Amino acid sequence: MNISDQNRSATFERLLRPHLDRLYRFAWRLTGSKAEAEDLFQDVLVKLFGQLDELVEIEKPGSWISRVLYNHFIDNRRRFARQRLVSVEEGQLPPGGVDSLPGPDSPERDAERADNIMRLDKALAELSEEHRHIVLLHDVEGYKFTEIQEITGAPVGTLKSRLHRARARLRKLLSDGGTF
Amino acid sequence: MSCTHINEKIDDYMDGALDDATTALLDEHIESCDSCRKTIKAAQSLHGLLKDYPVPTPDAAFFDQALAKATHVGAARLRNRWIMTGFGGAIAAVLVAWIIGGMLMQTPEGIDPAANIPGVTMALEEPRTVNLVFSSATTLNDAVLRVSLPTGIEVVGFAGQREITWMTSLQAGKNILPLKLIATTPHGGELLATLEHDDRDRTFRIRVNVT
Repeated sequence: MNISDQNRSATFERLLRPHLDRLYRFAWRLTGSKAEAEDLFQDVLVKLFGQLDELVEIEKPGSWISRVLYNHFIDNRRRFARQRLVSVEEGQLPPGGVDSLPGPDSPERDAERADNIMRLDKALAELSEEHRHIVLLHDVEGYKFTEIQEITGAPVGTLKSRLHRARARLRKLLSDGGTF
Repeated sequence: MSCTHINEKIDDYMDGALDDATTALLDEHIESCDSCRKTIKAAQSLHGLLKDYPVPTPDAAFFDQALAKATHVGAARLRNRWIMTGFGGAIAAVLVAWIIGGMLMQTPEGIDPAANIPGVTMALEEPRTVNLVFSSATTLNDAVLRVSLPTGIEVVGFAGQREITWMTSLQAGKNILPLKLIATTPHGGELLATLEHDDRDRTFRIRVNVT
């Protein structure tokens, strides 16, 4: 199906808008920083505009769109180097990260939460990229295994095995660090 | 049910994917095993922590701006894709140099030095190549270059088009875009070249005289 030039923008926006929030969250999960997430997100929108003729043919394009983003991230890893998940000593963490994410609770609870998130950041950074991605997609963002298979190309059995090992490693890292 | 079984089933247990009978067996073991109880508690804590793992919300206008930019840049990419190449061999034609970032516009040899803006003179109906030279301190991916032409000046191969847009990438160093122009009327005018990258844009002007 070919779309006339006049209709391309409107069609693109109509198809993409329902997926923008989830796509942005995915970009942030992969990159770990606002600036990198926005760059990745923007790159992918430009790319998707060029694939509009293909996009309109897909009945439920959510996973397909996520796969485009994932592949773009993988192909440009060095450019979208994960900024936030760096291994640093406590006290050397960059300012403006988790501390800028206030919660709905008391200051003490917020401080504890921020501390836990920082520890989680560090623990996730210790995982391999594949293990980190499966945790972020499945346990954090709630993607189903079949969706993750479609996005990453890895079989469901492999994904389950990765998740099992990733969770075990996270539990150990956080237990050893005193979080649990 | 042993501790090994718990370790094997812990993910399905946490995800609620076990049948009732197996779940009951696991519960029974966990009740009587300090080590497994500790493991399950850690798994539950991790589950809660991951569910609470935040994503900063983008600025309110970000999605609208991203969509607008995607359609603008995406459309430009579809129209034409000229890739600039690194500045290599000798350039015989007129050069217009522009230093990105430093905002320094150079008026090289061969271009009217008296004018505030560089100029080029060409004969009516005789094609002439003007090389636009861009110097960039860093690589610029997905830059958009837009050339706006005065009436009566055309880019050869783009008859009748007053504005041409390219999606391009600039390498660190010098990059050249050869622009083959032809004057179809004797009036001349100003050619505008605008380079956009991220939120920045720079425009420079070239005066085109026709004899």
